[in-house]
Amino acid sequence: MGEVIFWVIWALVAVSAMVVAFSKNLVYSVFSLLATFIGVAGIYIFLNADFLAVTQIVIYVGGILVLLVFGIMLTNRIVVAKITQSSLQRTTGLVVVGAIFLVLVLTLLNQTWPLATSAAEFDSTVNNIGELLFGDYLILFEVASVLLLGALIGAATLARKEL
Amino acid sequence: MHALSSYLILSALLFSLGLYTVITRKNAVAILMGIELILNAANVNFIAFSKFVTHHVEGHLMAVFIIMLAAAEAAVALAIILNLYNDHGNINVDEANALKR
Amino acid sequence: MDLTQLALSLKYFIPEMVLTGFIVVAILYDLFLKPETSHRVGFVAIAGLVVTLGMLYQQQGIPATGIFANMFALDGFATFFKWVVAIGAALAIWMSLDTKELENRRVGEYHILILILVLGMFLLVSATHIISIYLSLEMVSIMSYLLAGYLKENSRSNEASVKYVIYGAFSSGIMLYGLSLLYGLTGTGYISEIQAQLVLGQVSPVMLVLVTVLLLAGFGYKISAVPFHFWTPDVYEGAPTPITAFLSVAPKAAGFAVLIRFFNVALSQGDPNTPSWLALPGLDWPMIIAVLSAITMTVGNVLAIQQNNIKRLLAYSSIAHAGYMLMGVVVADQTGIAAILYYAGVYMLMNLGAFFVAIQIKNIYNTETIADYAGLGFKAPWIGIAMAVFLFALTGLPPTAGFVAKFYLFRALVQFGDGFLWLAMFGLLNGVVSLFYYMRILKAMYFDKMEIPEKLTAVPLHFNVLMFILVVPLLVGWMFGDPLSIWAAEAVQFFF
Repeated sequence: MGEVIFWVIWALVAVSAMVVAFSKNLVYSVFSLLATFIGVAGIYIFLNADFLAVTQIVIYVGGILVLLVFGIMLTNRIVVAKITQSSLQRTTGLVVVGAIFLVLVLTLLNQTWPLATSAAEFDSTVNNIGELLFGDYLILFEVASVLLLGALIGAATLARKEL
Repeated sequence: MHALSSYLILSALLFSLGLYTVITRKNAVAILMGIELILNAANVNFIAFSKFVTHHVEGHLMAVFIIMLAAAEAAVALAIILNLYNDHGNINVDEANALKR
Repeated sequence: MDLTQLALSLKYFIPEMVLTGFIVVAILYDLFLKPETSHRVGFVAIAGLVVTLGMLYQQQGIPATGIFANMFALDGFATFFKWVVAIGAALAIWMSLDTKELENRRVGEYHILILILVLGMFLLVSATHIISIYLSLEMVSIMSYLLAGYLKENSRSNEASVKYVIYGAFSSGIMLYGLSLLYGLTGTGYISEIQAQLVLGQVSPVMLVLVTVLLLAGFGYKISAVPFHFWTPDVYEGAPTPITAFLSVAPKAAGFAVLIRFFNVALSQGDPNTPSWLALPGLDWPMIIAVLSAITMTVGNVLAIQQNNIKRLLAYSSIAHAGYMLMGVVVADQTGIAAILYYAGVYMLMNLGAFFVAIQIKNIYNTETIADYAGLGFKAPWIGIAMAVFLFALTGLPPTAGFVAKFYLFRALVQFGDGFLWLAMFGLLNGVVSLFYYMRILKAMYFDKMEIPEKLTAVPLHFNVLMFILVVPLLVGWMFGDPLSIWAAEAVQFFF
């Protein structure tokens, strides 16, 4: 059963990412990106990454995707209804990227990865992540807060009307 | 269980599709969507390696930071893109050519 | 790692903490200012940078050590780059104080963002873990995007910023994918441990090349090496000029710092501090970098010839200079790295100087076109002389420090052996090409006679002081025992 669900999610991610890449209509793209993000969260669950799965849903779906939808809404005149967008060099792009994909997969599969002897089954990662975040990674956590502050100030400055 | 390779192939696919989106799209928001695909590909790798290679949640921590950075970057990028839209009326990257080629 | 041990690292982190403190002070101070007086935040920023430099000076002589669970390192190498970055930032903020482009708008946030950018670069040059590298690289990038688009009603600035954010996010995404593979191959994020795993030889050469190429996309973008340079001319032309000046020196220097640290530590064989340093077996990355270097300097120089806008010309010239500095990365032993440090220091002064002249001419005559510079050498003699010094230095002609800097780079390359003599020849040829377009500016300033528009404003006194500060070290800095090169040679001794 788990096996079947895994491959269903796998296919969902693959197909929806293809729609994102190949769809001519930007609105289809952005909504299938939603499916991709949720599917990736599902993949995380199969990888025992419960915290990450929730984070993925909250931040990617709840934050980034909403931003992107707003971006599309605000920059296309909806009245004109036609939100399609043309794209350049589709065939060339397809050939180049297809070649890159093949090289990538062949290299990845031919590499002997330093696999651990038995796959880890984390009960719950939240505890471990929390301890590391306020241990070894504490400084990065603090730096990230300064970065977010800067991004906040900067984005607000660029977005406000006044010069 | 599923082998590491099934995750690696998925992430390679996400990476390639992201690459394709970035190089063929003209719309700035669409390009950002491609970039998000690439970041997701890297995250899948980090978490898969965490389980199969290191047995340690270190990879999860990296993914947490990456998601955080992706959000900050998307917010900043959209603020900038909206400014471009306000003066150009469209956000096609190749039509933004006031700067000499 | 418990908190008491992390707290011990705090005493090695004083400059960064001071800088963060000043960022907070600047944000709070800005709240009390009206738009007309918001430039005063710049004074806070400069004061903050000066105090930070003082704290950096206090750190002189501390042996190289890893801090905060080895996420970052404190070593002479990082400290050298921190000096370059902080001085460059202080000078750029000084230039911003009287720039016409930034008049009649709120500039408080502008100075705050520069300070955060500086903090990001401080962290970037000392990062020793893949996630700290990525985090600080993004910190630098995001602040740069915001600053490039700061003139939000100006379509050139918006365009520059959009191109910057898109190329930037794309290339850092590619780099991140490479980092994720590296994490899987080695099972660790610390670059010294990555090296320890890679020398075991478990990784196929194809995989290594693949990872290197993916990583170079991110690093190459930061230093604007061809083929990751597309954003450079547009961003440099569209961004506010003081920001262009700053972006062309500081993040580039920081990009070189992280590139060198990563390649020298992670992709090496044995201890990076030993004289008999060798690249990782099975991965000839010095050759990859050498080819990159040759292409970068050639593309930069050849495209610079056709430019008419001073900012665009200097953008292409900065691509060419990235190519020269990559010659030092090829050598990658202590002489090579010391040569890059020296070059980064000198390049900071001469490039900031050239952009500063462009700012002044834009202020006074409202033009960025080189043809309009005709006769300016006589109309504004001090600016003319200063520009001559900066351009001589950029070309690498004596008696400027630019000559000495190029000399060190070429010497390192030639001493390295016969393998890369072709690259040295390439570099020399490129020097000749660059002579052509740098001198074209001087020719316009001194030999083209044309109607000169009236001065719009007088030059403020403090700008003359700043000009003096930039010119004098270039002329006399390398005499008197050349303290900078001694410092650079010492800095690479303490490589964490």
